[in-house]
Amino acid sequence: MKTQHDYLRRGILGAVAGAFVAITAGAAGAAGYPDKPVTFIVPYSPGGGSDQQARRLQPGLEKALGVKVRIVYKTGGGGAVGFGELWRSKNDGYTISNVVVPNIVITAQGKDVGFKPGKFSYIGMTARAVGALMVPKNSRFKSLDQFVAEAKANPGKITVAGVGSTGKMNMGDLANILGIKHAYVPVSGGVGKMIPMLLGNHVDAGMTASSHATKHKMKLNTLAVAGPSEVGTLPGIPNVEKWGYMTTWGVMAPPGTPADRVKVLNAALLKATADPKVRNMVIKNGLQPMRQTVAEAAAYVAAAVKKHSK
Amino acid sequence: MIEGLMQALTPGYMLYLTLGVMIGMFVGCLPGLTATMGTALLVPFTFALPTGEGIAMLGGLYVCAMFSDAIPACLVNTPGTPAAMATAFDGHPMVLKGRGQEAIVASCFSSALGTVFGAGCYLLLAWPLITIALKFGPAEFFWLGVFALTIIGSLAGDSILKGLAGAAIGLLISSVGISHGNELARFTFGIPEFRGGVSLVAGLIGIFAIPQVFSMVAELRKKEFIAEYKPKGGETLNTIKKVLSHPVHVLRSSVIGSFIGILPGAGSPIAAIVSYNEAVRWSKDKSQYGKGDLRGVTASEIANNAAAPAAMIPLVTLGVPGSSPAAVIAGALMLRGLNPGPELFQSDGALVYSFGWALLLAGIVTFILGSLFAPLLVRIIRIPLRLLAPLIMLLATIGAYAIRNNIFDVYIMLGLGVFVFIVRRLGFHPGPIGLGLILGPIIEPSLIQALYISDAIGVGRVFFTGTINITLIAVSIFSVAFVIWTRRRDQAQERENASVGS
Repeated sequence: MKTQHDYLRRGILGAVAGAFVAITAGAAGAAGYPDKPVTFIVPYSPGGGSDQQARRLQPGLEKALGVKVRIVYKTGGGGAVGFGELWRSKNDGYTISNVVVPNIVITAQGKDVGFKPGKFSYIGMTARAVGALMVPKNSRFKSLDQFVAEAKANPGKITVAGVGSTGKMNMGDLANILGIKHAYVPVSGGVGKMIPMLLGNHVDAGMTASSHATKHKMKLNTLAVAGPSEVGTLPGIPNVEKWGYMTTWGVMAPPGTPADRVKVLNAALLKATADPKVRNMVIKNGLQPMRQTVAEAAAYVAAAVKKHSK
Repeated sequence: MIEGLMQALTPGYMLYLTLGVMIGMFVGCLPGLTATMGTALLVPFTFALPTGEGIAMLGGLYVCAMFSDAIPACLVNTPGTPAAMATAFDGHPMVLKGRGQEAIVASCFSSALGTVFGAGCYLLLAWPLITIALKFGPAEFFWLGVFALTIIGSLAGDSILKGLAGAAIGLLISSVGISHGNELARFTFGIPEFRGGVSLVAGLIGIFAIPQVFSMVAELRKKEFIAEYKPKGGETLNTIKKVLSHPVHVLRSSVIGSFIGILPGAGSPIAAIVSYNEAVRWSKDKSQYGKGDLRGVTASEIANNAAAPAAMIPLVTLGVPGSSPAAVIAGALMLRGLNPGPELFQSDGALVYSFGWALLLAGIVTFILGSLFAPLLVRIIRIPLRLLAPLIMLLATIGAYAIRNNIFDVYIMLGLGVFVFIVRRLGFHPGPIGLGLILGPIIEPSLIQALYISDAIGVGRVFFTGTINITLIAVSIFSVAFVIWTRRRDQAQERENASVGS
């Protein structure tokens, strides 16, 4: 019976602490930016990789900035809806968004999406994961070789789901390397919508990232990961060296956000990612932690824009 | 499981649960504040609490919002969340007939029944049910959406054609914006804000609340307030008896609600629509539906509430949330370092079960609070229209703005409001338009995905194979045929009556 008292007390303590933080935040905020809540746009559906990043960073950002960070979901169009929303938002540093590179670049390629990926004010990348090809546990494919053999025997008959046109391009790359033809099935809204399709055997395979492969290890097998080496959380899964696909999660602000505010946000981001708790969560989720300066972030995106403009 | 119950029954736990329920009451009442937004706003405050209490509070909010969205739906014909659209079909006519208290108490009691049933499924049948739910692929979702569209037959009013046209308009509006799958901008007319599509909540407020306000203004000279209301003693007990006098109906609505709740991506609004449709189909006397049939209210409310706990089933079994509020709760768990999914049963089994009990208890708390406040709430309909109309307008505007913090949504709401007000005078029912708006985002992506899969393995195998596909197609055809048949019969009867009368 001690617990119930404890809980009550902790609740009250929490409320008091919350009020105290609010008061001190008000005092600190009076000096300048930021002095009101910051809106954090998540352009993919809740429960996905972007949502996880936002939720992971939220407490640290709130602490470092001294104001509330409100997470809002603006999903659709493979992320384009949310990115477009940020593009049109005021560039006063009070609206920021999650960004996924190179997805934002590929989504915008040759289409009327209403934003230019190279023009945003990038605050920093926080984590990355490599591509992963996943199948349900009960799949007839137990290895990548089996998958390739069947795809070669029946070109265009194996269905592979991915998120929007980014998934289409990445899977296309892998198919080229393996010399196979597949049928691509686009999912809108994020990986969260793809998992039940895989588990119910409605598609043969899914193109996601090593972080998703780690999270759903109990229910899904991974046939291959991208990049030069194996992924720590997925031991024994072969890597396809030539497959360079890598997803990077970061934070950005609307184009033309004042440099000093971007700097404040970058410092807050670095503080949030330095927390060992956050770091451990990143590693446990099959991601690789990243820390960048504002200049590094801009260069990182510029490189992706250059690579995909060919 | 018993351990979970013991944990849920401690006073501290119940305190936070009740607190969550009370916040949910408020959230659901206000159109524009959805359960998703309410839970998302509450998440940071739950961090001060232990995990169990924290997510119980969120669960309580979710469950109660699925009841309280019926309050504005009944009283002012404006669903508090998209899930209460079908509640308004009969709830509002009931209020107009002076049965306001009955409508609110019935919603409340139905919500409690639905919640208890849904939570029961979560506690007892999570694994077998999710196995069935996984059989729903893109083609199955497409047919489910088509089946849900057949409700037009019972909504359309005078003309099926106008009902179909209304649904087509709704579907068309839902396709505005960047397309699913291949990210092409559609129907944006060069206006950048249209790329983000029409917000469902702002759209529904426009379709239901705004024409209502205009009608109020137009009728100012004819009536002073919405309807008569005299509080009656013993009304709560009478209503409960009335609801329970249709046990098959209650069970059917609960089963439909729970099952559709489990399907990831479908959620409470679809559950309520399908349940309402089935209630009409299986009733012997259909004449009162749409005019104030208590069963219309209970069908919708039981199902949308049963879907709330059920939407947690894919979360704990697969790690995939079944609805948007469930996704927010998943986020809250992840922030505490817990991985919602099958491993949670092993690592924190007591938490998984205590949450199930919390949802069940939230249903009961909702009923107690709801029936206490019902007589008070119903007084809204006695507010003079010249005060009520601007008040609804104000709440509608705030609601439409708040959903995305975007003034453009307010313009969309007003535009749709004026449009629906005009077409209503031409004999269109706003229901089918709202239906199209809700079902579009389910039907379109699943159709696209199913077509892509068809490219590889054939249209026949994707769309017309499998028990679920065949069943859904069969019941859809049956629905349409049935509607045509009953309409012919009714028309023939009317002609007969007319000739006898003359």
